[in-house]
Amino acid sequence: MHGNLIFILDWLAASIRYAAPVALASVGSVYSERSGIFNIGIEGMMLIGAFFGILGSYYTDSVLVGVMAAMLAGLLCSLIHAYMSVTLSANQIISGQAINLLAVGITNFLNRALLGHLSGVRVPGFAVIKIPLLHKIPIVGQLFFQQTAHVYLAYLIPIIGAWILYRTTWGLNVRAAGEHPQAVRSAGLSVERIRYATIALSGLMAGLGGAAVSLGEVRIFTQEMTGGRGFVVLAAIVVGKWNPALTGLACLLFGGASALQTRAQTLGALDIIPHQFYNMLPYLLTCAALAGFVGRTVQPEKLGEPYDPEQD
Amino acid sequence: MNSWSLKGALQKAKDIIVGPIIAIALALLLAGILIYFSGYEPLAAYGALFKGSVGNINSLAVTGVRMTPLLLGGLAVAMSFSCGVSNIGIEGQLYLGAVGATIVGLMPLPVPQWLHLLLVLAAGFVFGALWATVPGYLYAYKGVNEVVLTLMLNYVAIYLVSYLTNTVYGPLGEKGASYSQSPELVSTARLPILLKGSSLHVGLLVGIVLAIALYIFMNHTSSGFRLRMVGFNPHAAEYAGIPMERTRMQIMLLSGGLAGIAGASEVAGLFHRLYANFSPGYGFDAIAVSLLAGNNPLAVILSSAFYGALRAGATRMQQVIGIEVSIVFIIQAFTILFVTAGTVLSHRPSVIKKLFRFSKKSPAEGRG
Repeated sequence: MHGNLIFILDWLAASIRYAAPVALASVGSVYSERSGIFNIGIEGMMLIGAFFGILGSYYTDSVLVGVMAAMLAGLLCSLIHAYMSVTLSANQIISGQAINLLAVGITNFLNRALLGHLSGVRVPGFAVIKIPLLHKIPIVGQLFFQQTAHVYLAYLIPIIGAWILYRTTWGLNVRAAGEHPQAVRSAGLSVERIRYATIALSGLMAGLGGAAVSLGEVRIFTQEMTGGRGFVVLAAIVVGKWNPALTGLACLLFGGASALQTRAQTLGALDIIPHQFYNMLPYLLTCAALAGFVGRTVQPEKLGEPYDPEQD
Repeated sequence: MNSWSLKGALQKAKDIIVGPIIAIALALLLAGILIYFSGYEPLAAYGALFKGSVGNINSLAVTGVRMTPLLLGGLAVAMSFSCGVSNIGIEGQLYLGAVGATIVGLMPLPVPQWLHLLLVLAAGFVFGALWATVPGYLYAYKGVNEVVLTLMLNYVAIYLVSYLTNTVYGPLGEKGASYSQSPELVSTARLPILLKGSSLHVGLLVGIVLAIALYIFMNHTSSGFRLRMVGFNPHAAEYAGIPMERTRMQIMLLSGGLAGIAGASEVAGLFHRLYANFSPGYGFDAIAVSLLAGNNPLAVILSSAFYGALRAGATRMQQVIGIEVSIVFIIQAFTILFVTAGTVLSHRPSVIKKLFRFSKKSPAEGRG
C-alpha cells in the first residue's frame, strides 16, 4: 500500500479511537444542556467511570460488570450535581467543579488503596469485534468495522440520541425545559424531574465514556487518565450545536485534531508549525463556533439558570 | 450598606465564618472516615497535616507560598462571581499574566527595584486582562456563553506558554535547557523574600493589600456598587441606566487582570522564570477558594490560607503516614459541596423539612 494511504488510515483509526469515548459521554451531556443544566463535572464523571470500570472488571473478570460499575458510579456523581443544581438551585459551575475535584481525589486515593499492588497488570477489556461481511470491505471495513465494542456504540448512540431528542414527546419536553420551562410547567410537567432525568443520563453516559477510555484500550488505570476529554465534550457540544448526532461528528473532528498533532512529526509539519498550535486547534475551533464564525450557534435559552417557578 | 456599626460588622463576620467552619468540619470528618477505612489512623494523619502546615515557622512559610496564588486567583474569581460573571478562565489569564511578567522581568531596565517590580506586576495585570478581552467582548456585547469560552481559552493559554518557553523555537525559551523554561529574571525583577531561608515572598503581601483594596472598592465605592448591581439585579441595573455591556466588559477585564497578577507573582516571587505548565490548576482551585469565602475579598484571605495549609500539610502527611496527597482534593470537594448546600439551606430554613422534595423557591443567589 502507498505510504500516504497508510498514514491517512492510521490517522483516521486513531481519530476514531479518541473520539468514541468522548462521543459516548457527549450524548448524555447534550441532553442535560438542552434541558438547561450545565455540567462541567463531566470530566470528573468520566474519570470516576474510568476507574470503576477497571475496578469492576478486575474483581469480577467481567467487562460487562466493569461497564455497569462505571455507569453506576457516573450516575451517583450526577445525582450530587442534580441535587445541588436542581433541588438547591445552586451555582452549576461550582457543583461541577466540586465533582471534578472529588473525582481526582477519590480515584487516586482508591487506586492506591485497592489496586496499588497491581502495578501494570491489565484487566479484561473490550474485545475487538469484526462485523460479518462489512469488515471485508477494503479500507472502510478495516477502518470502521474491526473495532472494539464501544466504538460501535459510539456510532449508534448519537444517532439514537438525536432521534429521541427530536422525534419523541420526551425529547420535546427536554428541549422545552431548557427553552421555556414555564411552558413545561403549564403543561403540568415537572421541570425539575426532567432535569433530574437528563443529568442522570449524562452521568450514566459519562461513566460509560470513562469506561471506554480505560477498558477500551490500555486496560489499566492511571492518574487523571481522562486527560481533559470531559472538557472536549463541552467543546464538541458547542460545535455540534446541541444536536447529539452533530456532536458525535464534532467529537470525531476533535479526535482528528488530537491524532494529527501526535502524527504531525512524521509529516515534517512540526518544522513549519510547532505542535502546540495543533493542540490549541480544538479549543480555538470551539471559541470560533461560539463566536458565530462557524455558522450560527444558539445555546438553549435557559442554560445554566436555575428554574424558579415563581418568576414567571 | 453605609450604616456601619460594630454589632453589624460582627454579625456579618459571624455569618461569613460559621457556615464554612461547619462545612470544613464535616468535610474533615468524612475524609477521616475514608482514611480510617483505608487502614490509617485519622488523628495521626490530621496531626501530620497540621504539623506540616502550621506546626512551625518553616511549615507556615510553605503554607504562605502555597496560599499566595490561591489568594490572588481567588480575588479574580470573587471579582467576577460577585458581579454575576462566571469567569472560569482564571487559569489561562494567570498563565498570560506570567508571560507579561516574564517579558518585563527579563529586561534589564535602568530603574530602581521597586519600580521594576511594579512594572512586572502591572505587566501581569495587563496581559491577564488582555487574555480576557476577547471572551469579555463576546460575552458582554454578543451575549456568548462566557463559561465555555473562558474555559477553552485556558487550554489555549497553557499550550501558548509551552510554545513560548520551548527551548528550541520558543521566543522566550532558554536555549539548551532540559525543561521548557525561560531564562532567569534580572535581579531587580524578583520579589523580595519575606522570611530568610524560605521561599515566602512579597507576593503574599501584595495579595493581602489587593484583598483589602478590592473589598473597599466593591463595598464602599459607587463604582463597585455599580459593578455588583449588574450581577445581583440586572433588571434594576438596566433600569437605573447602567450600561450593561460596558460594565460586564469591565468586570471581565478586572477579573482577568487580578488573575494575571497571580501568575506574575509566581514568576517574580517563586520561580524567577517562566516554566511550561507551572500552575497545578491554581485557576481552578481559586474557584473553590472564592466560594468558601462567599466571594468576599477579605474572607478570601482566610479561605486561601486554609487551602494553602491543606496543600502544604498534605505533602508531610504523605511522607509521614503514607496517605495519598489527593485526599486533599476530597476534602476540598466536600467543603465546596457543604458550603454551597449550607448557604442555600440557611436561606430557606424550612427546606430541612422537605429536604427530599423538589424546590419550590429559588434562593437569592442564583447563577454567578
